[in-house]
Amino acid sequence: MLIRRFSITSAIFLIVFILQEAFVNQLNLPAGGFSIFLILTLLWSALSTPVVAAAVGFGAGILLDLSPSTDGPLGHWTLILVLLSYGISFFSYGDENMRGNPLSLIFMVVMAQFFALIFYVSSGFLLGVSATGFVQTMVTLIGSSIWALVITPLLLPAVVWLHDLAFDSRLHI
Amino acid sequence: MRNGGENRGRLLVVILIVSALFLITLDLRGVSVISGLRSGTHTALAPFQRAGSVIILPVKNFVNDVTHLGRTHSQIDDLRKQNQKLREELISRKNQDGQIAQLKSILDLAGKATFKVVNAKVISQGSSLAFTRTITIDAGTSNGIKKNMTVISGYGLVGVVKEVFANSALVMLATDPSFKVGVRIAGSQQIGILAGLGSINANLQLLDNQTTIKVGDILLARGSINNQPFVPGVPVGRVTSVSNAAGAVTQSASVRYFTNFGALGVVSVVVQAPSADPRDSLVPAKPVPTPVPTVTIFVTPTPSPSPTTN
Repeated sequence: MLIRRFSITSAIFLIVFILQEAFVNQLNLPAGGFSIFLILTLLWSALSTPVVAAAVGFGAGILLDLSPSTDGPLGHWTLILVLLSYGISFFSYGDENMRGNPLSLIFMVVMAQFFALIFYVSSGFLLGVSATGFVQTMVTLIGSSIWALVITPLLLPAVVWLHDLAFDSRLHI
Repeated sequence: MRNGGENRGRLLVVILIVSALFLITLDLRGVSVISGLRSGTHTALAPFQRAGSVIILPVKNFVNDVTHLGRTHSQIDDLRKQNQKLREELISRKNQDGQIAQLKSILDLAGKATFKVVNAKVISQGSSLAFTRTITIDAGTSNGIKKNMTVISGYGLVGVVKEVFANSALVMLATDPSFKVGVRIAGSQQIGILAGLGSINANLQLLDNQTTIKVGDILLARGSINNQPFVPGVPVGRVTSVSNAAGAVTQSASVRYFTNFGALGVVSVVVQAPSADPRDSLVPAKPVPTPVPTVTIFVTPTPSPSPTTN
C-alpha cells in the first residue's frame, strides 16, 4: 500500500514538474507567472496528514531545487516546502470545515504560496542569492498570488481526484 | 499509542528539516556531488524543454504580444503598416525564417568583429519566480562553450554564460539585477558601469563626473581581461535619459538595451575574441530616412470659349 501511494505520488509530481519546466516556465507570463508544481504541492499537502505533507514537501522541494531555473542552493526550497507543507496540513487536516470547503482550500494555498515566496526571498537574501529590486519583488509576489488565485480553482478538482486515487480516500469537495 | 505516532511524526519532520539544512550546507561548501545532481537534472530536462519550446512558441508569441501591448502602442501602429507591406511579399513566413534572420544578423555582427562564435537555440527561459533573468541554450561543453563566455544576438549583448553542462548552458541575461558590465561610450570613449534592473532598461554610472553624456549615445562593452566574461566592442544599448543631479559624485543615465530579450530565438556564444579590439566598428548604423518623392502638378487653365464675331 505504501509503495503504491509513493509510486503514484512520485509519478504525478514528476510529470507536473516536467510540465512546469518544459511548458509553463517558457510562457514568460507577466508578473512572475504561476507554478502549477508549487500549487500542486501545497494543495496535496492541504489534503494529506502533516507527516505525509512534510514528506511531500521534502520531495517537491528537492525537485524545485534541482530545477535549472532555481538560483538558490540545493535544500533552499526543500526547507521552505517542508515547513510550509507541514504547516498547511497542520491547520487543515482534521478540520472538515477547512478541507471540505473549496474556497478555504484555495485561500489557504494562495496564502501559503505568497508566504513561500516571501520566505524564499528573505532566506535567499541571507544565503546570498541575488534578488531583483524591491518593486520588482513586490510585483512578482502580488502577481504570482493573483495567478495562483486564478489557477488553483482550475487545478483543485484534478488534484483532489488524483489524491483520492493515490490514497484511496473519498474526499467530497 | 497515539502519542507515540505523533512523536514519530514530529521526529520525521525534524529529520527532514535537518536534511534540508544539511543539503544547503553541502551546496554552499561546493560539494561536487550536488553540482553533479543539478547537471544531471539539467541534461535530463533539456530534451523536454527543447520539445516544449517548439510546442509553446505560438502561445508564447501571443502572450508576449499581449504583455507589450500598452508599452509599445505607437510601435505597433508603425509595425502594422510595415506588416501590411511585408504581408504582400512574405505570405507564408515561418518560424524558421525568423531564426535564420536572427542567425544572419548575429553572424553579420560576429563577422564584422571577427569573433569566433558558436550558435545556439534558446530552449527555455528561466522562471521569473526565481527572481533571476536567465535563458537555457542548446549548446554546452560538447560545443566548446565554457563558463563566463559572452553571449550576443544580432543586435548586441545578450548576457554571459553562467553555468555550462554537456549539451546545454544557462545564460544570465543582461537584464538580471545582479548583472554588471563595463562599458564605454562610442566616440568619446568615456567609461562607466552598466547594471541590469530586471527590465529592458539598465542604469549607467559613469566613472568620471566631468564626462558629457547625451541622449542617443551608444554604449559598447569595454571588454575584460582575457576577454572573459566580456569581449570588447559588442554593442550594448543606447542612452535614453541622463540624470544630472547637482552635487552627485558620479553621473548616471538610463540605457535601453539593443537586444529584444522577449524574442530571443537564436543567440551566439563568443568562444574566441579577435586579437585586436574592434573599437567602434560595431556601432549600429543610424537608420537612413527614405526620401519621399514630391509630385508637383502644374495645371494650365484651358481658355474659355469666346463668342465668335461674324
